[in-house]
Amino acid sequence: MDSVNPGRDHTPAQVQEWPVRFTGSGSEYFRIWIVNLLLILVTLGLYVPFAKQRRIAYFCANTRVADQALAFHGDPWRMFRGFVLLGALAIVYGVASHVAPVAGLVAFVVLCAAWPALWRAGLQFRLGNTSWRGLRLAFTGDLPGAYKAMLPVFVPLMAFVATSVLLGPGEQESASARPTGGLIVIALVLLFVLAVPLSMAATRRYQHGGYRLGRQQARIELRNRSVYATCAKAVGVAIVPAMAVAAVVGILAAMLVPAVAGGAGQGLTGLLLGLGIGLAYFSAAVASVPYLTARLQNLAWNGTRSEALAFASQLRMRPLLWLTLRNWLLVVLTLGLYRPFAVVATARLRLEAVTLICHGDLVNLLGDAASRPADATGEAAGDFFGFDLGL
Amino acid sequence: MSADAAPDAIDGVYFDGRSARGQAVQLRVQQGRLHLHDAQGPVLDVPVHAVTWPERLRHGQRQLLLPEAGVVGVADGPAFDAWAAAWGRQVGLVERWQQSWAWVLGAASLAVALLASGWRWGLPWAAEVLVHRLPPALSANIGDQALASLDRQLLSASELPAARQAEVQRQFADVVARATPVLGAPPPHRVLFRRGTEALGPNAFALPGGHLVLTDALVTMLEDQPAALSGVLAHELGHVQHAHGLRLAVQSSVVGVVAGLLVGDVSSVLATVPTVLLSLGYSRDFEREADAHARTMLEAAGLPPSAMVAFFEQLEARRASERGASRLPALPIGFSSHPADAERIAFFRR
Repeated sequence: MDSVNPGRDHTPAQVQEWPVRFTGSGSEYFRIWIVNLLLILVTLGLYVPFAKQRRIAYFCANTRVADQALAFHGDPWRMFRGFVLLGALAIVYGVASHVAPVAGLVAFVVLCAAWPALWRAGLQFRLGNTSWRGLRLAFTGDLPGAYKAMLPVFVPLMAFVATSVLLGPGEQESASARPTGGLIVIALVLLFVLAVPLSMAATRRYQHGGYRLGRQQARIELRNRSVYATCAKAVGVAIVPAMAVAAVVGILAAMLVPAVAGGAGQGLTGLLLGLGIGLAYFSAAVASVPYLTARLQNLAWNGTRSEALAFASQLRMRPLLWLTLRNWLLVVLTLGLYRPFAVVATARLRLEAVTLICHGDLVNLLGDAASRPADATGEAAGDFFGFDLGL
Repeated sequence: MSADAAPDAIDGVYFDGRSARGQAVQLRVQQGRLHLHDAQGPVLDVPVHAVTWPERLRHGQRQLLLPEAGVVGVADGPAFDAWAAAWGRQVGLVERWQQSWAWVLGAASLAVALLASGWRWGLPWAAEVLVHRLPPALSANIGDQALASLDRQLLSASELPAARQAEVQRQFADVVARATPVLGAPPPHRVLFRRGTEALGPNAFALPGGHLVLTDALVTMLEDQPAALSGVLAHELGHVQHAHGLRLAVQSSVVGVVAGLLVGDVSSVLATVPTVLLSLGYSRDFEREADAHARTMLEAAGLPPSAMVAFFEQLEARRASERGASRLPALPIGFSSHPADAERIAFFRR
């Protein structure tokens, strides 16, 4: 087999599978991270985009598919422009909301209005500056699509803002005291919670449906129903350990409290109640977050395909759960120094769960980059400012 | 430079940036240009300085990003590093730094020292400079907002007789007037009386812009101890004088951002723990500073600072009775916004 161009000696009818390999090492990333951290501290934060460029380049160079790693082409000086702009936005927002609620509200609405456009620009920058086998990836999602994808979050949020404005300046805190206001607020919070899975599905559909490599434009099949089912199961996964903790603490309380005299017994009840709530919350989060992460990754990537490419993601919850627990524990014990090891281990587990499936000759299928649709203005804007929202 | 120690050519795979087809090539650097050859002959040559060279690392593929488009991948990392060293590729300072464990340990100690001294001295200093440059109207505005919000949630109109309120005002104004020759003119301030919720109990607090709020329960508790009540107000005036409220807001937001930077992508829940603990440390420092202000003010007004001791003892007795004389240990001091009562009592007794 030709190692330079895999799959060349196979007939087009054949299916090739390439598991994603991650070759990064925690100790090496630790050294990169420490130097980055020091330079960020010395420059009072201005080094952040340069640190980010180095980190993304390291993770790309260590993510290998079919013998070739990804490459990151982002120019740190462009990322610096985006960083300064986003930083200025954040400072304006922070100051405005501290000075006066009205100014804070205006800043919040402006930020919300700009957010989908910034999100899309970030995706364009990150994808457009990542290459595999010399071909740049691209993000082809359009601007209205970005706004539509964010709608399930925005509608309840805007309704919430509108209600708090209508109830009169500064009245929202006491709204719960008034029956109608209280009901509206409860209804909106419920609406917000119920819209979360819808928003998870919509944002993933927009993201994955916009990926492009060469001639291969991705599309995604992700039903709202399956995301709702996954979220419902995640709630179940959260409740079980929380109930178990509550039961243990309850039994403990039943055994201990009667043994202690009056006043102290009250204090002890309070202490056990606090401990129980804290532990229940912690165990619920510990169990449900890895579950949701694993299931959503599998749902989204298994549903993503193009004409000739498809993905198989088999991330299992249990290894991710143990890894998350170990990461938390070691980060706490080392006062944060374990963090780079945790990040590398998580990336390895999540990336190596994915396999790229190719129907036919990879090289021919990817074809000419020139055939990729031009969306020059949007892409230029994204590239000029070097927005990159994610960590 | 001998040929066997350092090969002058190395194998790689060239991608032209237009198709996914790779081409096996040999890389060679001559006279400041990178030349790519395949079996048939030259493929491409570009100036060395126009190429984005990969950093020297132990793991991962080496990728050369060619100007405009195109990538060359080299699978054998160590061989690539030897080859690049042989023709003298410029190695950046940061790149050299992150290769050496000794330098990395140095960087780690320096980072820890910077974080610690930034937390201890740098941030409080910067927050003080910043806050004292803010226009007074701004902090007055923030204080008004905060008071309006507290009035809706935790406070209601005072039920103290007007005569008692006037008496407290007069006593404190007298202390301020007598302390002025020593401490200079006080910042603008206003003593306010409010009935607090049950949980608030006997309490006093200061807001930016100079609102000094006393709860009815506190005024009642210190009915026959005017010096202690003035001491409490002097403590709150100290918070106003040093703009502690705004400084704490600025300092804890910066601590939050830095903690998020350090451990935020492992867990945002984890990032709140150091933020809260470090901010409480700042809060205890401010309380000590306000205590010092109260002590100086009482002394300047000719009142005994030990008047405050009775106040702390009364508070402690009240708290003990609330806990039902239980033998439960109190939370360690690291979790408290105020210094330990014993420390504060010793300070005022000295």
